[in-house]
Amino acid sequence: MKKGYLKDYFLYSLMGLCMGVVLARVGFADYDELHHMFIFADTRMFFSFAGGTLLAMVVFLAFYKKFPRQKKLLQPGTVPGSVMFGFGWAICGACPSIVFVQLGQGKLPALMTLLGIFIGVAIYRRIHARYFQWDVGSCST
Amino acid sequence: MTTEYWPWWVGALAMGGLTIAFRIFIGRPLGVSASWANVVNWREQREQIKTSEALRDNADAAKDSILAATLAEFGEVADAGTHNTTNETQLTTGKANRPVPPLAHLFFLLFMFVGSLLVAMMHGGFHLQLELSKLHTLMSGGELWRSWIYLMIGGVMVGFGTQMAGGCSSGHGLSGCSQLAPTSMLATVVFFVSASLMSLFFAAMVHL
Repeated sequence: MKKGYLKDYFLYSLMGLCMGVVLARVGFADYDELHHMFIFADTRMFFSFAGGTLLAMVVFLAFYKKFPRQKKLLQPGTVPGSVMFGFGWAICGACPSIVFVQLGQGKLPALMTLLGIFIGVAIYRRIHARYFQWDVGSCST
Repeated sequence: MTTEYWPWWVGALAMGGLTIAFRIFIGRPLGVSASWANVVNWREQREQIKTSEALRDNADAAKDSILAATLAEFGEVADAGTHNTTNETQLTTGKANRPVPPLAHLFFLLFMFVGSLLVAMMHGGFHLQLELSKLHTLMSGGELWRSWIYLMIGGVMVGFGTQMAGGCSSGHGLSGCSQLAPTSMLATVVFFVSASLMSLFFAAMVHL
């Protein structure tokens, strides 16, 4: 563990801790709640997500000089990747962050999701390097 | 977990606040799939950081060699332009471009587990469960082992899909949409619609 990165370790840990608390309290780790959001039976979580995005949008727009816009590239994988992610999210009830929140609540089946995500990320790296080779933008760096 | 969830407006304030706080303290947009990529591909990331550190340590030497190469190629015409800070800007990594070690990304992911565990301990206790939910087991055909297989398949799709799309619900959803990035808005609509269609299909199967 390099000393020069201690601040990074602390800040990333703090942000992870806060994110775990927030996602658990909003209910994103609850499969039933998530399913009800996706079939439009309950709008609470959807409004939490949309409201959070809107709040951040207002702040980023108000202080646009402090928060320069990051480029997000539209590449051939954006739509098919999003479709695959959406299907996967509905099947396992977890996105890349929620799986840790589910494990924190003692949901052991999430270990399978964790393993699946690990395999998916690792496979994509190899397939991308061999076949796709497109620029996936800032989020993947 | 037997806890009452936050009302939507508290959730919105918390999620929005988290997105803003991440941008302020970390200096880059929130994106969990990026942390996954950094952790899973930690060897490549470590090599990149080593290269970046070497470049930073030898910034002056690198600047001199670039200057020498530029002068050799373009002669005196280039000399006037060498007094600006272009090379310096390229060599000095800013906060957003500064490489972050994979270990920090691993801490980010693991501390989500810790945060959730704390909440579970404080509200309703922590219980080990073999079933994600009764509804999930029911939608997986009523057998637990099948539900676990579904989770594995879903996990692979989430891992592969988020890397292919260049972001997930936090990177494209919270961060990208809040920055009005057209790509992120498209991705968010697509993954929400896809998840809804799949969930509606599951719901229909259960009610058949």
